[in-house]
Amino acid sequence: MLTEIIDVIISGMINGSVYALMAVGLTLIYGVSKAFNFAYGSFYSMGGYLAFLVFGFAVLHNYLIVFCLAAPILFFFGYIIEKLLIAPLRKRDDWEVKVMMITLGLALFLDNSYQVVFGARMKSLPSILEGSFEAGNFILSYQDVVIFILSISGILAFRWFLNNTRTGMSVRAVAQNPAGAQIVGIPKEFVFSATFAISTVMVGMGGILLAQKYFVTPDGGWDILVKSWVITAFGGMGSIKGSLYAAFIVGMLEAFVGWQFGMTWTLIALFAVLLTTLVIRPQGLMGKRG
Amino acid sequence: MIKIQNLNAYYDDFHVLKNVSLEVEKGQIVVMLGPNGHGKSTFLKSVCGLVKKVTGSIAYEGKDITGLGAEKTVNMGITYIAENRELFPEMTVLENLKLGAYTKSARPLEKVFSLFPRLKARQAQFASTMSGGEARMLAIARGLMSNARFLAMDEPSLGLQPNLRIEVARIIKEINSAGITVLLVEQNIPQITALADKLYVLEEGRISFEGSKDEALGNDHLKEIFLGM
Repeated sequence: MLTEIIDVIISGMINGSVYALMAVGLTLIYGVSKAFNFAYGSFYSMGGYLAFLVFGFAVLHNYLIVFCLAAPILFFFGYIIEKLLIAPLRKRDDWEVKVMMITLGLALFLDNSYQVVFGARMKSLPSILEGSFEAGNFILSYQDVVIFILSISGILAFRWFLNNTRTGMSVRAVAQNPAGAQIVGIPKEFVFSATFAISTVMVGMGGILLAQKYFVTPDGGWDILVKSWVITAFGGMGSIKGSLYAAFIVGMLEAFVGWQFGMTWTLIALFAVLLTTLVIRPQGLMGKRG
Repeated sequence: MIKIQNLNAYYDDFHVLKNVSLEVEKGQIVVMLGPNGHGKSTFLKSVCGLVKKVTGSIAYEGKDITGLGAEKTVNMGITYIAENRELFPEMTVLENLKLGAYTKSARPLEKVFSLFPRLKARQAQFASTMSGGEARMLAIARGLMSNARFLAMDEPSLGLQPNLRIEVARIIKEINSAGITVLLVEQNIPQITALADKLYVLEEGRISFEGSKDEALGNDHLKEIFLGM
């Protein structure tokens, strides 16, 4: 019983850490541009498929190479999508609604493209590190440990970027006060594109990390999109700290509900907790009122 | 230093400024007075590249800057200091100042701290926790960080109690004697108006008076409406 509970906690922590990495990216775009990105889940799948592609070449059989290739590709892809599809909409009325529509279209386009190129069947990725630590009944796979460490490192690197670099500071500035950012001469358009690109990298990296455990499928991103939004709303729209807490709570909740009642109940439990929270605190865990 | 001719500004279809012309010489403090809602803020924002729809001409040090956005004008040494301060609330004083120096040509932090010693003592404090007077100082200091040579100040004494107004007036004078040209708009604050080398009055989007303080005092209409005498 005790080892089972420890297993569940560990599983919750590991999923929570990857959710945190992905939800922080989504929170960031929302905080900066107040726009809703429906294609976020499809960017997650893109990470998985990129890894699958890289592993197709025998010489490149190494996760380090996967990350080194995927990160710039995802960044560039995110940047171009923002510049081509979203930036032109921002000059129009009701652009937030139009961004929702166009990213929804993009999500469907990407998912169908994955299906055409890779087929509808699940793709699996090799484990990032084989083996496990065992003590009696208790087993902790090295894969899980590495996933956890990489997610947390990703979040810490992101935090460092936001607090210590010129671009990172300008992202925070636009999120906190767009008018103030304009006054000090921060180029808003660049910040929007950079933010979108960075969040694409974050969710794509999450895709690579989780694909080893849960396979890659053309429509696997929708589940992630829903979870990332639940976490973002639960934590408080636009609050990075809030979404970090929320991600771990959601990871734990999922693990415990899955263990006690079966995986089919996890999404229902998630929404039940989200709705209850929003009834009591409409601004989410750490969001601001108004 | 800055020469504005026949400036018109619009918010959507609303015509706010109507053929406004104004000139500020290097090293001057020029004050624009006028009632609320008559276009003073819009005027300053237009000069600083913060209003999209403008016609006419704005020349800064001989270069035409009409229609250039703030990203470019800040770099040229023009800085707008907003009436509602527009600070970054969840950042420290130091971070706010660093963002003021976002453009390439930044003023050394120590120079700005020497003008505002109180901010130096509070550099780790969050902007959202500052009092109105301190936040105003921070807004001015942040504006100076960009190495501005021309400050456009929007009602710098708004909402401040009288002793702080005197403090703001002192700082404006100090900034000006350090070689920075100042154009500011105010409603009617004697301490601030007293600093002016030249006065303008903006009513319903048009310049209704231009001249020295003495000339303004001799104008009965102005005396009654703006100077309260």
